[in-house]
Amino acid sequence: MSSTALIFHIQRFSIHDGPGIRTTVFFKGCSLSCFWCHNPEGRHAYSEIQFVASNCIGCGECVYVCEHHAHQLKDGERFYSRALCVNCGKCAQNCFSGTLELIGKRMTVKQVMDEILRDSAFYESSNGGITLSGGEPCLKSVFIRTLLEQCKQQNIHTALETCGNYKWDKLNSLLPFTDLVMMDIKLMNPDKHKQVTGDSNKRIITNARQLVLTDKPIIFRTPIVPTVNDTIEEFSEIVDFIEELIELRLKRGKASTNDANIQLELLPFHQLASDKYKHLGQDYKAAQLIPPASEKMHELAEIAKKHAIDVKVR
Amino acid sequence: MENNTYTYQQRIDALRATKLKHTQEKWDYIGVLDYDDYALILPPVEYREKKHLVSASGLEITDVLYTKFVPKTNHPGGGFFGARICGENFGKMLEIHPVYIDPFSSLAGSFMMILLSYRDPYWNPDFNFSHLENEHKKYKITLHGIGAAQHFCHDMTIGFELGWKGILDKIRHYRTLNTDEEATELYDGLEDIVSGFQNWIGRHAVAAREMAAAEKNRLLKQNLLEIAEINEKLVSEPPTTFREACQWMLWYQIAGKMYNAGGSLGRIDQFLLPFYERDITAGILTDEEAIFHIACHFIHDTSYIQLGGPDENGHDATNKLSYLVLEAAHRLKIPMNVGVCVGEKLDTQLLRRGVEILFEDKTGIPKFLGIDVTSKDFTKNGYPIELGRDRVYCGCNWHAIPGREYTMNDCVKLNLGVVFEVAFYDMMDDKNTHPSVAELWKRYEYHMSRAVDIIAQSMDFHLDHMFQVFPELHLDLLCHGPIERGRDASHGGVEFYNLGLDAAGLATVADSFAALEQRIEIEKRLTWQELTDYLKSDWAGTDGERARLMMKKAPKFGSGGSLADDYAIRVSRLFTNYVIEHPTPKGFKILPGIFSWALTVQLGKDVGATPNGRHAYASITHGPNPEPGFRKDSAPSALAVAVAKVQPGYGNTAPMQIELDPGLSRDEENIEKLMSLIKTHFELGGTQINMNILDKQKIVEAHEDPSRHPDLVVRVTGFSAYFASLSPELRQVVVDRIVTSE
Repeated sequence: MSSTALIFHIQRFSIHDGPGIRTTVFFKGCSLSCFWCHNPEGRHAYSEIQFVASNCIGCGECVYVCEHHAHQLKDGERFYSRALCVNCGKCAQNCFSGTLELIGKRMTVKQVMDEILRDSAFYESSNGGITLSGGEPCLKSVFIRTLLEQCKQQNIHTALETCGNYKWDKLNSLLPFTDLVMMDIKLMNPDKHKQVTGDSNKRIITNARQLVLTDKPIIFRTPIVPTVNDTIEEFSEIVDFIEELIELRLKRGKASTNDANIQLELLPFHQLASDKYKHLGQDYKAAQLIPPASEKMHELAEIAKKHAIDVKVR
Repeated sequence: MENNTYTYQQRIDALRATKLKHTQEKWDYIGVLDYDDYALILPPVEYREKKHLVSASGLEITDVLYTKFVPKTNHPGGGFFGARICGENFGKMLEIHPVYIDPFSSLAGSFMMILLSYRDPYWNPDFNFSHLENEHKKYKITLHGIGAAQHFCHDMTIGFELGWKGILDKIRHYRTLNTDEEATELYDGLEDIVSGFQNWIGRHAVAAREMAAAEKNRLLKQNLLEIAEINEKLVSEPPTTFREACQWMLWYQIAGKMYNAGGSLGRIDQFLLPFYERDITAGILTDEEAIFHIACHFIHDTSYIQLGGPDENGHDATNKLSYLVLEAAHRLKIPMNVGVCVGEKLDTQLLRRGVEILFEDKTGIPKFLGIDVTSKDFTKNGYPIELGRDRVYCGCNWHAIPGREYTMNDCVKLNLGVVFEVAFYDMMDDKNTHPSVAELWKRYEYHMSRAVDIIAQSMDFHLDHMFQVFPELHLDLLCHGPIERGRDASHGGVEFYNLGLDAAGLATVADSFAALEQRIEIEKRLTWQELTDYLKSDWAGTDGERARLMMKKAPKFGSGGSLADDYAIRVSRLFTNYVIEHPTPKGFKILPGIFSWALTVQLGKDVGATPNGRHAYASITHGPNPEPGFRKDSAPSALAVAVAKVQPGYGNTAPMQIELDPGLSRDEENIEKLMSLIKTHFELGGTQINMNILDKQKIVEAHEDPSRHPDLVVRVTGFSAYFASLSPELRQVVVDRIVTSE
């Protein structure tokens, strides 16, 4: 049993990841590698150094503590080699200028719960709760099952934000302690999906179909990314799929009323992550993409509305 | 032109444009205004003169004198002291004050001068307090309260009931009953003031008739005739209609500014309500007219008001007028000080409307009041809950019982940063002591208690002599007691004395203690001596900068569950408990609060480098707030939890200052979330919220060039102001808060 998980941020007063005021826990590691991802620090399942050269004051402490010679000072110039770096974090422990930071902290369930409980009064007053996000939280299903279970013991509303790319059993084992599932549906074409996210959408599609057979409220989320899924044709395929899922749920009679309890959220691609890629030494392949205009987002939302889908633009 | 009609909104727009013009003139002539927008208008060019002085709140400011007014003196060293001459001078000031009538307004009057600014010297040198000065200097207590004026609240209903003639009759009646010298002098002063009021109002009535005669536009002509008629009546009679009540209120309020910069107003939605209801029933007032009259008041008076809240039995007293007043603020979009009550049994629609306006206007108006907490906390001082509920919001961070309580609120500040610094060097200079955080805490405790003791003695000294220096003549008129007893409010005239003392720089101190424990004692990264050397050199050199960043990066108050969070609670408790357990030597209660007003820059100049990584003489932290950037996400909920935990809890406040993501859209979901944030902060024990939702880009542009956005209004602290009015330093404080809040 995994007693700890690598977490890269716990955001309090999170108001864009589910209903009410929430705390969102971001897990490290993902089974996809979408080239536009706005959380690049969540991609790898290991801690990594974030390097912000402009903050350096030239104290040389990192050079002194690094056994792997990843940091060097030559003629007053500072060098950092990711090739030599083993992400041990010693340099970050001794850097206070904000130049070096180890992204990803190993935490126990109790440590995460302590942080979650700090805002419990706000969950209650706003009908909020917690959201587990990432990276992909379900890759740490044993850890998060315990975490979700403890939240439910405290009557805290729980939400999972997931890419859906794993075996159904993982998600299924978490559902008894999950009040809301937010699952990404990025693209219907499996080949293109593999090309832009690193993997096919086969498991995602299967999991989505399984999920609607349960009675869990679901928000499907589609990031609208130019060159990926912003054409009418590509987006309409997604809409058709959501429609199919709604019909599936209603047909199976799992929904308590005629309301399928399925929503669609459209999230416009943005460029806010570009610095994060730079600081993590990752190649940002979406640098040239232009975020979709508000009109475009609403045009796509209208398509979903025509299919009687409860859609929202974030 | 002659037949032009104007809508109320067009008239409000015209009034706002005139106000902006007046404000621009003040910027050009005075420069920086790091305090409330007083709505003052400059005297005529040929009769104006600048003067540097200390304000009623203890801030060094520049004011403008009207050179035609020369006060009488009664002291060989210059200056005027005591009720008789203060009344005479103020009466004279009212008599010569230029008439001001804007034909677009339904109310006459504005002000151009403040008597306080003519006080030279500020304090009567015959009342020597040199015995207190050594410790004032040691703890840099510049705001010790001696000479502090106003900062308590009158009861407007007294004026509404009596009118000026009734007040004069009341003075004359009690003059016959109280015949000692102190009472006689007070009555002389009060009578002169009332005569001044009557003259001032009467001259406006005459001028309004003259202006009406010359006015071509029918609507404005009619308006001026009505103004004349109303003021002919108000010279002596009490108001009977809503508009008359607004006019009476405006005269009284702007005279308060003119006398000693007073700005308390209180529950406008309660004391105007009978007039509103009567006129509505009689069919002589519409809601649109009511909003307009209130707006005409606020254009010339930015006093502090409370909307909603409980009645004395705890029932919700929110009414239609609460909404109309809020609407007037919304239509004006000028600096104003409107507090909306939030409480378990109160109408949440008023809170909702307040939040909507906050989103729409982005002026930091209104602010929010945790009335359940403040009224209940007040009972811990031995008062019944009914009094707690009656204690209205009427100043930057403060409450007072209208007409019955003398408070000195927001006038007396203890800079905890200085106390910490004195304790720190006391320890480091003691060669017989091994430095430790425990030892430092012991010395901090001692010096904090010494500083509070000296403040308590200063308050007694103030209460002994203020009536002989600059009595509260203006507020005395509408208080229960001063006229009846023949005693100034500062000298036994009112029923309750609860003196406010605010601590400032809480997080600077808490973070310093925590950083010392973390870096020196737990991690042993540096020695006490090394740190001391860094502090003395203000973190000079690369090593110094690294040490500074190391100390600065220790987990801060507000981060949640940190050492600094624990220290913040300890620092607040220590201060609170000591203050509560130690009334002044003469037995006056002191009520603790945590609030630094707009003084974070000024108070910071009194403190050298501190172990939280702060540079020497940089700003100290604001009120009970954590340092900006206290958490990576600067989560508003984390802030709300932290500030709720450090409340002193005796009825005075520790307001949370919060800047919200300007990108937050005004949709139903976000309004609900913001309402939850506000309500939960108060449920957790918070007392007040000063909130801004601001456009970062606009703020940054206005900081670089204030003239680009002259109408940009921000909530600086308990007060709101034009951003362009502020000094570059104070603008920077606001910018830092907003930029790090994202």
